[in-house]
Amino acid sequence: MTQSLKDKLVILSLAVLATAFMITFLAIEEQAEIFALLVLAAVLVFASAKFGLIETISGCLSRNERLLNGAVVAATLIVAFWFYEDHFPLLMIATVLLYTVASCGLNMQFGYTGVVNFAGAAFFGIGCYTAAVLGETSVPMLMVIIVGGLVAALVGSILIIPVLRTRGHYAAVVTIAFGLLFRTFLEVNDALGGPQGLGVSGMNIFGWDFNSGITLTDDIEVSFYMNYVILALIMVMLTFVLMRRIERSWIGLNFDAVRLDETAAACYGIDIKHWKILSFTLGNFLAGTAGALYAMMLGFIAPSNFAFSDSLILVSIVLLGGMGSLWGTILAAGLVVLLPEKLQAIQEYRFLIYAVVMILILLFRPQGVLPRGLRAYIPGWRG
Amino acid sequence: MKILGKSTVSAIAMVMTLTVGVGVADAKDKVKVAFIGPMTGGVSAVGVGGRNSAELAVQLRNADPEAKYEYELVSMDSECKPNVGVQVATKIAADSKIIGLVGHYCSAVAMGAVDIYHRFNLPMSVWGAVLPDVTYANDYKEIHRVNGTMINQNEVAAKFMTEQGYKTWVVIHDTTDYGKGHDKYFTEYLTQNGGEILADFGVSSDQQDFTAELTKAKQLNPDVIYFGGLTPLGVRIRAQMEKLGITSQFQGVSGIKSDSFIEGVGPELSEGVVSFLEGAPVDKLPGGQYFTEKYQAAGFAESEEAYGPFAFAAMTLILDGIEEVGPNRKKLTEYLGNIQGYDSIVGEVSFDDHGQNTVAAITKYVIQDGKWVVWEDSEYVDGTRKLAGK
Repeated sequence: MTQSLKDKLVILSLAVLATAFMITFLAIEEQAEIFALLVLAAVLVFASAKFGLIETISGCLSRNERLLNGAVVAATLIVAFWFYEDHFPLLMIATVLLYTVASCGLNMQFGYTGVVNFAGAAFFGIGCYTAAVLGETSVPMLMVIIVGGLVAALVGSILIIPVLRTRGHYAAVVTIAFGLLFRTFLEVNDALGGPQGLGVSGMNIFGWDFNSGITLTDDIEVSFYMNYVILALIMVMLTFVLMRRIERSWIGLNFDAVRLDETAAACYGIDIKHWKILSFTLGNFLAGTAGALYAMMLGFIAPSNFAFSDSLILVSIVLLGGMGSLWGTILAAGLVVLLPEKLQAIQEYRFLIYAVVMILILLFRPQGVLPRGLRAYIPGWRG
Repeated sequence: MKILGKSTVSAIAMVMTLTVGVGVADAKDKVKVAFIGPMTGGVSAVGVGGRNSAELAVQLRNADPEAKYEYELVSMDSECKPNVGVQVATKIAADSKIIGLVGHYCSAVAMGAVDIYHRFNLPMSVWGAVLPDVTYANDYKEIHRVNGTMINQNEVAAKFMTEQGYKTWVVIHDTTDYGKGHDKYFTEYLTQNGGEILADFGVSSDQQDFTAELTKAKQLNPDVIYFGGLTPLGVRIRAQMEKLGITSQFQGVSGIKSDSFIEGVGPELSEGVVSFLEGAPVDKLPGGQYFTEKYQAAGFAESEEAYGPFAFAAMTLILDGIEEVGPNRKKLTEYLGNIQGYDSIVGEVSFDDHGQNTVAAITKYVIQDGKWVVWEDSEYVDGTRKLAGK
């Protein structure tokens, strides 16, 4: 068997395993089963790390990026279609996908360029509110997603000067303050629904109403959330391509230089301000687009969705996944969104357990679950 | 796998209806009901109290040998956030085994979730949210509410105050949804009861100085100053009324019914201030004693809080409905729609066209010696003390 064939087999079997795992994880409800599954996953990961399997696998994955990307998309679709008539799992899948897009935006700021942003939920919220306001007008809904991102980027430009002039903790405080201001602004602003929030009309592309289910035959009716899952998946794919392209281009190199050592980068003639502004704006744009579709899917938004704690959730996705790591972000978004939800049955205590899991992961793996590897200029290249 | 699951369920459901119809059911069938409330976050105490109360209703029903079904309670945490609320609402509504729901303390969460219940035809009753729009901004047959809204509060307030013999009012309200809502409904019911509003002032919720509004009010010399808003503003207005020498009766809304109002104004100035609140202290409820006994006997670690009895009443109502019409969402919706004069621990329940309980319990309070006292228990009721201008 040749090396490449072996690689492909490994990837395919991994994809099948991951798909089966996701389906089981989404389908089971019993707490004991959920814990058993989580423990099983942890044991598998530890065992394969122990026996050096992880390295073999990651080598295999980096040699076959195209196949990997394809396999992940296929796996997501299989999971989604497995639950084609179950609204709840589909809603959760779409939520994970949209959180992935928003966290990718944050990753661009944090992970690539080192611009701190603790107001992720605010930019996400700007997208949501843009969708709510524009939903009433005749602007095409697909356009609204883009506009949501643009408005988020535009509002973010208020923060550019403070973000450029501050660093570290101070930059964090500036963005935290912005997040709080955003929420207060929404609460006192009657035109935007005030503290009670306001309704958002659903997605509609050329008369195709996303909020009604798809009837295939008399017996098979696909949940309306499937529409959102597919659109969100497309958004994740576009975001992923954008992020990868930027990472591997000279833009990404500049971002990295700015993050690693501003002084050195400036000495080599890199315009620090320019790159910081670009990554900050692009990141907010991504968060805004995710927010716009999220609002359409939920149908109702209120200021309490965009509190400081929600910004921290986005930050924790980035940290948990590994700064700058795209696959890590996707995995972490899944963990952060699904885990508290799956632990619903223990109610008051679920955030305690969730928090302990997070602390343990960060304690024993501070670089994140799937840390960003060395820069790979060419797929499969290891220098 | 999924299809098999669903068809098995429907087969079971069919068999169930058949056996119940023939009356040969031996073992009790399981029926699921659900509860949603904020069980983490700032208002978690109320949410957990509500959950315990709903659970108590289910426990009592399961202990009842005459119950036709065995009930299982599924309770979910909304975190008082609309996005999480929509998630759990979808989860519950999409689970066809769940027949009825008691849900929502936070109005914003309820507003986001009602569309989902309608979409999935899940009959539900709100147990705590007070925003009128939850029931009145839609025509959904599935949505009901056992507790009152600010509408009921003002209906009682307007009636009560006109009965005391007051004729003229000046209204001051803050410009939030809360204050505006109070202004709207109080004006409506006061006009019906023959009272007259001389002037209506909207003020921002952080305004410090009310000299302009109050000077105007003094010229008009109303019998009552009505204030629609929250405690901090209420304290300032009551204190500044005194400075300007306004002797009119001060009437507040549920927003000032807190001990900090008395602390802020002082016991002398606050004497005789009246306020109205949805619900009632547990010992004043028709079935309050029964509820308290059972709640304590069940050994919950947390208190039932102000809205626990409503969660209990709503859950009992839904369980009664399932007993009556069987575990079927549509039939239960129909059953709830026809509820008139239903006897519950929070008093009689009658739903109007929008599923709103029209005879919701509202309690009248008056401040006496630096304490909020239920009107009927106060010295004002027999004339020992008198309200301003009487």
